[in-house]
Amino acid sequence: MTDSTAPDPADTRAAAQDTALAIAANPPRRALGLHRELTKVWANDRGWWGQVTAVNHTTLGLRFMGTALVFFLIGGVLSMLIRAQLATHDGAFLDTELYNQIFTMHGSIMMFLFAIPMLEGLAIYLLPKLLGTRDMAFPRLTALGYWCYLFGGLIMLTALLFGVAPRDGWFMYTPLSSAAHSPGINADVWLLGVTFVEISALAAATEITVTILRQRAPGMKLTEMPLFAWYILGTSVMMLVGFPPLILASVLLEVERAFDWPFFDVARGGDPLLWQHLFWLFGHPEVYIIFLPAAGVLSTLIPVLCRTQILGYGAIVASILALVFLSFGLWVHHMFTVGIPHMALAFFSAASLAVAVPTVVQVFAWIGTMWQGRPELKLPMYYILGFFLTFVMGGLTGVMLAVVPFNWQAHDTAFVTAHLHYVLIGGFVFPMLAAAAWWMPQITGRERVRGLGEAAFWVILIGFHGTFFIMHLTGLLGMPRRIDVYTENPEWVWLNLTSSIFGFVMTIGFGLFVLDMALQAFLGQRVRRDPWRAPTLDWAMPLPAPAYTFASIPAPRHLGLDARAALLPLARGEGLLPGAPRGRREFLVTSLAGARPDHVAILPGNTALPLALSATIGGFVLLMLAGLYPLTLLPLLGVAVLVWVWGRGMVRPVADAPIAVAPGWDLPEQGLRRRTLGWSGSVCLLVANGTLFASLVFGVGFLAVVAPGWPGPEAQAGRAALPGVLLAALMPALGALAVRRAEAAQRQGRDGWRATRLATGLGVLVNALALGALAWLAAGHMDDPTGHARDALRGVLAGYVALHVVIAAGLAGFALDQFRRGEITPRHAGVLPTWRLWQDYAAVTAPIAAVLAAGMGMGG
Amino acid sequence: MLSLAGPGIWAAGFTLVYALHGTGCARGWPEAAAMGPVTLHAAALWAGWLVTLATGALLLRLLPAVGAGAGLRRDLPRAGAWIGLGATLFTLLPVAVASSC
Repeated sequence: MTDSTAPDPADTRAAAQDTALAIAANPPRRALGLHRELTKVWANDRGWWGQVTAVNHTTLGLRFMGTALVFFLIGGVLSMLIRAQLATHDGAFLDTELYNQIFTMHGSIMMFLFAIPMLEGLAIYLLPKLLGTRDMAFPRLTALGYWCYLFGGLIMLTALLFGVAPRDGWFMYTPLSSAAHSPGINADVWLLGVTFVEISALAAATEITVTILRQRAPGMKLTEMPLFAWYILGTSVMMLVGFPPLILASVLLEVERAFDWPFFDVARGGDPLLWQHLFWLFGHPEVYIIFLPAAGVLSTLIPVLCRTQILGYGAIVASILALVFLSFGLWVHHMFTVGIPHMALAFFSAASLAVAVPTVVQVFAWIGTMWQGRPELKLPMYYILGFFLTFVMGGLTGVMLAVVPFNWQAHDTAFVTAHLHYVLIGGFVFPMLAAAAWWMPQITGRERVRGLGEAAFWVILIGFHGTFFIMHLTGLLGMPRRIDVYTENPEWVWLNLTSSIFGFVMTIGFGLFVLDMALQAFLGQRVRRDPWRAPTLDWAMPLPAPAYTFASIPAPRHLGLDARAALLPLARGEGLLPGAPRGRREFLVTSLAGARPDHVAILPGNTALPLALSATIGGFVLLMLAGLYPLTLLPLLGVAVLVWVWGRGMVRPVADAPIAVAPGWDLPEQGLRRRTLGWSGSVCLLVANGTLFASLVFGVGFLAVVAPGWPGPEAQAGRAALPGVLLAALMPALGALAVRRAEAAQRQGRDGWRATRLATGLGVLVNALALGALAWLAAGHMDDPTGHARDALRGVLAGYVALHVVIAAGLAGFALDQFRRGEITPRHAGVLPTWRLWQDYAAVTAPIAAVLAAGMGMGG
Repeated sequence: MLSLAGPGIWAAGFTLVYALHGTGCARGWPEAAAMGPVTLHAAALWAGWLVTLATGALLLRLLPAVGAGAGLRRDLPRAGAWIGLGATLFTLLPVAVASSC
């Protein structure tokens, strides 16, 4: 029990953070003048070139969603080809090879090129508007993500046109996808193309996390921010942790296919189950990565459509927290039939059942909200009701599949296909259709044409259930998924034919939906402001949304108002940081929990650099696909140069004068803060990086413990390699000492200048020494990595350490360059804090990698 | 950050027990006696489960009690702790009821 008389330290801290922010209003100005001033600074360049150089979140968010919609339509056409083939038992419409490519591409497109980019696009478009800021934290990263997504998607589509698309299923199981069983470039297209697209996912996750945590409008506490932001925060953290295992798996399989390093080859100490573990470590959280933003849409729309407030805000936040964690403990339920011991099956079966609890809490909160309010049957509500019907059914079949004995019976049948479509279409597509109906007036500034949207809903709903409810029965009758003919099973014909007919009905429904959106965009009447009478800031702006979103940043007094009441004061510049008087793209950075104004961030303007960087990465991918491995060094060099140029673009001229953001509130520019947005972005990337390293450690442990043929043949390298291993393991730690010395001396000012430069130079030197040691090892002091998985893993560990000492050396070199230019002063730390983060990471991981590499040799 | 502690303890414990289970099955721990009829494998798994439960319970004990009007800032860490403790109890319950390998 706590002492009721003494103040609790936690309460004291909380009270300090909860203190209401007293921020006086800026004097009102002419809204039109502010609009012109801001538009001049924030608008895209004119013409086609403006599309290339755009970095604005509204443009890129819409572009993400538009491109994802195109991929959705392509994926839909592929599904119609599948349904046409299965409509009869001996369909001659597609041959087996093409059928395999089409179902693989259908799944891959819907997962990687539709669902994830769609949620990224929605978050990128909406978050700054909802949180009361002007753009995402890293606009150039947004653009880089988009171009990587587009190029990766185009590579995969081009492969389909030329008949060399992936054909091993969207989860690419080995050994089916290994070089021996899948010759040609089909599997490489998937591995390289999807990894290319995943750059965009990690970029989005990083900037979404930083934007939510550090850019909320002053006074918008973390515990009071809109639920959509909580959901997206959960999603972005899951993306940071969920995608690295798949990236690692893809890299390992591509290295196996390209260079014959046997990670998944049983004969040489590998194990195909390692792929399954790594894939599903991503794959199951992926379901929640897709579901959470959709749930965020529901939690945003339902209270407004029911003219009430959401029921159980705290319970929903706790449910998001539970889902984020629990969803990482379920992945083995996709592997129940591979021969896993009973107790392990039971762990994952229990976790799969447990995850239903936080999901149900949310469903009851939504139902309760509807119960206490006055639901209005407008178009988004149709899709919300469609969601309830469909997702609850999908959730129930999910609980059925979580039970091991039933799973063994239904495994790999059409029942599973039906379940996953109920979950994904019910849990993602229906809410996204509701979101489209909801935010289209904001995107287009126009009202929809009445009637067509409702018709589209009914056609989609009937088509969907007609297709996939039937498919449960087909599965229960034993029809395996992914077969192209079933001549021996005439009893499946009428079920499949029915599914195919309704599949085409559903497609017509989606066609009507797209037509409805097009009519709204081109023929709809001008919409009035805040047409839904919503309380959130995304409607407190002119429609369609201007490039700068807010003419002035919302102050605490604007947060409790209806959007309509906040609109005019913000447009007249009565909030913070009104206009763009310095001709720069500026917004406020606030504290993590309490959202107190901290400093002013300055964003880069329009640039083609993201396109150049993604094209260079694309060059690397294409050269890998062509098998021209030595030439890949050229784009890698190009990437290094462009990253340096990118970093230079983040550097601002040294400025000490504070900026007046409101009466009595003068804030410093970002250069005077050590923990800038860039620093926070690095933390996010290191979280993802750490997960990748942890996945690699898991891979080492899994193969060493479970795979046959271990510990492998006697190692040839032996003790002769020890000096190189020690040097590579310990030099990064010396670099960590050097960066600390450099920071301490930098703070001393001119007296410490020489010491700062020396310490930074030492940082470059020790990382170069570590790299030299790794090169020495690779040049003849390591065993042939093609001989055994153990030696291949040692090669990967060495490569991982090499990459990080290169990054650390690059950051130290960047710091030296900043000294030369006078950009590091006693008050401006420049890149030093970021270098310290990466150097510390290298200092921790290098010795772990060395111990693992040495430990794998034990007994060998 | 405190809100992440409870689920974090579950994640660490779940990983630990799953790793002990896999290692034990591969190394033949179910056949190795530890204390009388208790095998080394069972002892390790029970120890992992109980340590995780105890850590979760300790976290709950250390967190300030929820008070009226305390707000989500204070409620969420406790909710996280309960989520972690409940998940540990339920998802690792097979240690007590299932055959190990």
